[in-house]
Amino acid sequence: MMAWLTSGGNFAGGHLVWSGEAWVLATVATLVVIALGLATRPTPLAGRLGELAALALAGLGLVLLAARPTWLAEGERTEPGRVVVLVDASRSMGVTEPAGQTRLALAREVLARLPDAERFHFGGDLRPGEALTADLGATDIAGALQALSRRYAGEALAGIVLVTDGIDRGGLLRIEADGRRRLDPSALPELPGPLTVVQIGEDRAVPDVAVVDVRAGAFAFLRAPFTIEVDVVRTAVDLAATTVTLTRNGQAAGTRSAAFDQLGRGRVSFPVTPDAPGRFIYEVSVPAPPDDAVPGNNSMSRAIRVVRDRVRVLQVCGSPSMDQKFLRLFLKEDPGVDLVSFFILRTMADMGSDYAPQELSLIEFPYRRLFADDLATFDLVILQNFDHEPYFERDSDRLLENLAEYVKNGGALAFLGGDRSFDLGEYAGTPLAEVLPIELGIPGESVDPAPFAPTLTAAGARHPLTRLAADGAENQALWGRLPVLDGTNLSLGPADDAAVLLAHPSLTTGGGPLPILAVRQVGLGRTMALSVDSSWRWSFAEASTGGGNQAYLRFWKSAMRWLVGDPDDQAVTIEVARENVEPGEVQKAVVRVRDAGFAPLPGATVIGEVLGPRGRTPLSLPTDGQGLATIEVPTAERGAHRIKVRAVSAGGLQLGGAETVYAVVTRDPELDRIAPDSEALQALATATAGLYIAPGTWQAPLYDDAAARVVRERRESPLWSAPLLGVFVAAMASLGWWWRRRGGRR
Amino acid sequence: MIDVAELQLASGTVSRPDAWVRLLLETVQTTSVECNPRAVQLAPDDPELFSHPFAVLVGDGELPPVSDRAREQLVRYLSYGGFLFVDDATGDPESGFDRSVRALLGQLFPTRPLGVLSSDHSVYRSFFLIERPVGRVAVHQVLAGVQLGSMHPVIYSQDDLSGALDRRADGMDRSACVPGGESQRREAVKLGINLLLYALTSNYKHDQAHVRRLMEEGRIE
Repeated sequence: MMAWLTSGGNFAGGHLVWSGEAWVLATVATLVVIALGLATRPTPLAGRLGELAALALAGLGLVLLAARPTWLAEGERTEPGRVVVLVDASRSMGVTEPAGQTRLALAREVLARLPDAERFHFGGDLRPGEALTADLGATDIAGALQALSRRYAGEALAGIVLVTDGIDRGGLLRIEADGRRRLDPSALPELPGPLTVVQIGEDRAVPDVAVVDVRAGAFAFLRAPFTIEVDVVRTAVDLAATTVTLTRNGQAAGTRSAAFDQLGRGRVSFPVTPDAPGRFIYEVSVPAPPDDAVPGNNSMSRAIRVVRDRVRVLQVCGSPSMDQKFLRLFLKEDPGVDLVSFFILRTMADMGSDYAPQELSLIEFPYRRLFADDLATFDLVILQNFDHEPYFERDSDRLLENLAEYVKNGGALAFLGGDRSFDLGEYAGTPLAEVLPIELGIPGESVDPAPFAPTLTAAGARHPLTRLAADGAENQALWGRLPVLDGTNLSLGPADDAAVLLAHPSLTTGGGPLPILAVRQVGLGRTMALSVDSSWRWSFAEASTGGGNQAYLRFWKSAMRWLVGDPDDQAVTIEVARENVEPGEVQKAVVRVRDAGFAPLPGATVIGEVLGPRGRTPLSLPTDGQGLATIEVPTAERGAHRIKVRAVSAGGLQLGGAETVYAVVTRDPELDRIAPDSEALQALATATAGLYIAPGTWQAPLYDDAAARVVRERRESPLWSAPLLGVFVAAMASLGWWWRRRGGRR
Repeated sequence: MIDVAELQLASGTVSRPDAWVRLLLETVQTTSVECNPRAVQLAPDDPELFSHPFAVLVGDGELPPVSDRAREQLVRYLSYGGFLFVDDATGDPESGFDRSVRALLGQLFPTRPLGVLSSDHSVYRSFFLIERPVGRVAVHQVLAGVQLGSMHPVIYSQDDLSGALDRRADGMDRSACVPGGESQRREAVKLGINLLLYALTSNYKHDQAHVRRLMEEGRIE
């Protein structure tokens, strides 16, 4: 019946389902009933049974069509098990073998022998299809096998063919305590079929010298020695040793010779003592032999951030005083300060008293060590009412020149007043005078003893060094309330590029107010001149009013932070997400812009450039509501990169600049070691009771004849669309109509 | 420049400006410290006290009660960098002044007891190396102090140091030093200079560079 209705088909077994919409069925049925009802009028039913029967059958056919009957047949069949091929598509498969073919091309030859196999390729994950290029990273053989097992869970495969050079980054082999490598069985899944391992590439056949690891933390501390350890390997190259070169930001930082052991491994260490805070690119490289297969793995970069653990301060004072006492107490109580103090307790003029040297606790002033040998170890030097001549003697010029160079190279100097300082200390015309923020050499009287209250200048109102309060008006008021000072050293005025932050309320010089506090950027360093020796009164006299000594502490804290120029304590800072990124990743850098009071500055413009090995990329973007501007830089080029930015406020004020570095690693982990790993592949084959096929050979892969797969089938035959059903409905309708006409009805 | 403020109460205190002028002059002649050789007399609640960060309290009898305002100012003065040398002019271990001073210091710093300074304290090596701190008398031969932070802003002698320094208008010493005579007075002057230097340099002489060097030269152990 069904075959007749649906014009043929195999329906052995199965059942009928109705797939029509209920409302359609109800509508059609209603319409049919109405049509039949109308057809019974107006004449009696007698003699019209044939007509009505034909129309009723046509209506029934229509209702059947609306019910959409479908015949559902289900069955299953058994087919032979499948063979699956996994081809390693990592970058090491792109290495060219001595015969001139890449490993991937050799793998394709294996694929050609298995035309009916299902194909996958893998690096760090499993992907369907054939590999077009060898460009995946992080080869994980065990991971690929696990993914395969999950994919074919419940099905027996006739064979699994793994085609690879065996260079694995997923930890297939574990290094045991005895130094030997062993396969980690827990890393392997229960495989759905017999495994055949086909090795591509000859062991140690490719000549290569590579830097395989550079070990150094991401952080180092300023002036604290640390070690950069470098591992190098050679394969198929007749070398007893190689020269390892270390550079810092492109500048030579040392060379070492690394001797290779019998396994072709070498190790060398570079002791490094950072002499400046910030981020630096350390790059290690070895020369490539003429036939080096992978020159790209002959160097490796590491970006290291150098931070201060403590600020190292040298306080030298020519005469103990309250000013010296309060500054020492402030510095000594700051856990972030490593203080070295030297106070001159006795001068040549005091030698007349009849005390024997052994009665004294005095030690010799180690000025040569401090101002020559150890000078670079200090972040900040404070010369407090210190006259150099009696101590430096013939070395004065040399030691003051050292101090000036120290500043130009990034050091900080605070030059404080007193009866032995400024022109009273005979600094005019010395090398040190050239880096001070004030001009010395005043003729005649060089001090004014009258007490005074300094005034905050316009620059001082903006500068972080003289910010006692975040609010500008409050800051002005705080400075106005501070106690008067005892008098001041005089000067010829500020140096050309200095900023005067505090000025004398009445004394003038060179047409402007006498500078009391002036600052200057000199080369990479900073200097500050405070022409009084009574800043301690901001602490002690202020405390007498019940107000505490916060003003004094804030002033010196700010002065110290500004002087040492900590990268994180600037108006403009830049921070990269990661010091070391891989090619193809996007490096993100965040620029933070703050105003002079260190409040976030929205609406500023950040202008700068990214300097890479192949040129510069300009950038310009605004800061958001939090004073932040985020830079995203694609990292296509390997090597050291530097981002330099400066910020300009909405009003056009230059806010400062910042820069940072990062490394796009010049090493590809996939190319660290390019020699195929037959040991790993043979161990894998053994552990899985599989077959290992050596490079350059071939034999049939393991095949499990018993492996089969059941193919389940489900077939749906829509009866409502069968042609005969339509014919039947049309025929019945025509017959009924003919009968009706024959009876003389319309 | 540094000078001396003598704290004066209604009774029990002694004023010895000549002793302090002598100390300041000796300090100028012996050290690089610039001094203003004068002594001013102030009540402990006088705000002018904060212009003189080196103060002394010398007495020979019981002290009257100190006002709350004076106590508050003294605490503030000593907590924010001022220095007070207390000198018992009687030399008597059980003097009324001693009882008064201990009571006063107990009120000022109830959680900081007056304690004997260790023999390697910075005050014994701030300029001279001193083994026996003495004054006009040599009864106790130790100093005591109250410690705040890393410093002792209050140091107390019961051997009448100012008595050894005091002079008459004609320049002659006012009192004899017993039992050591002039050599004892010399030690007293050295102690006075050390007190002044300690007030300025605090624990400077305990910095590593100094300790190492003095030990290398065998001047301290």
